[in-house]
Amino acid sequence: MLGGRLTAALVLAVGVAAASAGAAGLMLTRHPQVVQVSALRVLPAPTGPIVAVPQHGTAQVAKPVSLVIPAIGVSTSLIHLGLTSSGALQVPSSTSVAGWYTGSPRPGATGSSVIAGHIDSYRGPGVFFRLSDLRIGDRVYVKRADGTLAVFKVTAVKMYPKDKFPTAAVYGPAPDPELRLITCGGVFDHSLKSYLSNTVVYTTEVG
Amino acid sequence: MSFTRFVRRVILLAALPLVLLGIPATVSAATVSAATTGAATGTSATDTGWLRLAHLSPNTPEVDVYLYSFGDSSAQVVLHHVGYGEESPYEQVPAGDYSVAMRAAGAAATSAPVLSASVNVAAGHAYTVAGLGPESGLRLQVLDDRLSTPAGHALVRIIQASLKQHVVSVSWNGHVLDSSLKFASVSPYQSVSPATATLTVSGGGESAHISVPLAAGTVHTLVVLDGAKGLVVSDLLDAAGSSKTPVGAAKTGFGGMAPRAPSSPLPWLAVIGAGLLLAMVGGRRLRGLTAARSQGC
Repeated sequence: MLGGRLTAALVLAVGVAAASAGAAGLMLTRHPQVVQVSALRVLPAPTGPIVAVPQHGTAQVAKPVSLVIPAIGVSTSLIHLGLTSSGALQVPSSTSVAGWYTGSPRPGATGSSVIAGHIDSYRGPGVFFRLSDLRIGDRVYVKRADGTLAVFKVTAVKMYPKDKFPTAAVYGPAPDPELRLITCGGVFDHSLKSYLSNTVVYTTEVG
Repeated sequence: MSFTRFVRRVILLAALPLVLLGIPATVSAATVSAATTGAATGTSATDTGWLRLAHLSPNTPEVDVYLYSFGDSSAQVVLHHVGYGEESPYEQVPAGDYSVAMRAAGAAATSAPVLSASVNVAAGHAYTVAGLGPESGLRLQVLDDRLSTPAGHALVRIIQASLKQHVVSVSWNGHVLDSSLKFASVSPYQSVSPATATLTVSGGGESAHISVPLAAGTVHTLVVLDGAKGLVVSDLLDAAGSSKTPVGAAKTGFGGMAPRAPSSPLPWLAVIGAGLLLAMVGGRRLRGLTAARSQGC
């Protein structure tokens, strides 16, 4: 009789323990794994002669050589990007530098200039990891080959699903000197090995 | 406290964390999905358009040009001493209604304008407000400026602002853009294959040649003006974009920093279910045995 009670109590105890362990396991695995990132390093604004082309943009400005975005700790040299054989925008082979699309106007000349950079590598953050943290009014600095600086202010931060990427809005003509910064964002599809969205930051030169 | 009641309390205590743990698990799953769908919309829309002002009336002296937001008597932009053939850069302005007023250079801002016009600026659109015609018939005309080009092409239009030659013909790269463009008129935009070539403007035995680069993805306005001697052409770059539009989106990430989707909850739910079942069986059996014993006594 006593043996029966002991067995029953044991079964009860094992059951309760199993249920609790299951609940704990469920809770610990239910939230997405958050990757730890080093703290944001806010940079000082670069200095140099600020030259905005005043009129009619047909005047040539020098090629861009580096990009500084103090608000999100970006300071990178700029490589040149073209198009891939399939006609898509070439992206930097290194995730730690950004690149200027040479088919777009030079930053500071009339029109929509385009700079792209990676959000991350396989292991860690890329040069544009915090791009979507930019807020309207934040400043973006482009240093050019002749040492002059073009200064832009953020006017909009947008995220688009990649299958609905607005190529006309991003690459189409603009009447004033503008700069668009592009990186990835949204959900990462592990089966496609690709992010499903693009973040685009729109900026206009500060007159 | 009887043994049975103790057992019941143990079950209750064990069940409590199950409930408590279950709630945050569901909530965190819900937040994750909300964050991903919410991200599709941007932080802000750019509800702005562009305006530029031009003086293209040959015998009208310098003017001051004022831009007012509709219903606001203080000017948003004032351009002083704008002479024939001059135009302002594009001004980015919030979409809405504006009025443009022209006063003689140096006239008081409160004086009655010589001319005024109203402009409705739509978001994402650009406009040129041009003073056109002879001084005696000066008018302010609002021109819609195009901000897109056919793929691989340039767009070009001509404003005929020469009073000396009332009618001109314009050709570029051997292609006639307009054979008889009258004074104070504006041709529609035309699509041309990109090249740097010679633009020829001729009328009344006079002609002017300038080399104009028309790159793919750019929009130009060519203005025919009276020069000190003969005709002069000024090339305004209305807008510029990429010469070749990249196909599709940009592949700018490898996923190293992407949040991993939570794994399936099913195995854990199975463990919980099995545990609860076991606990129930044990508890029932225990209660049955206890009841039997108390009856037996």
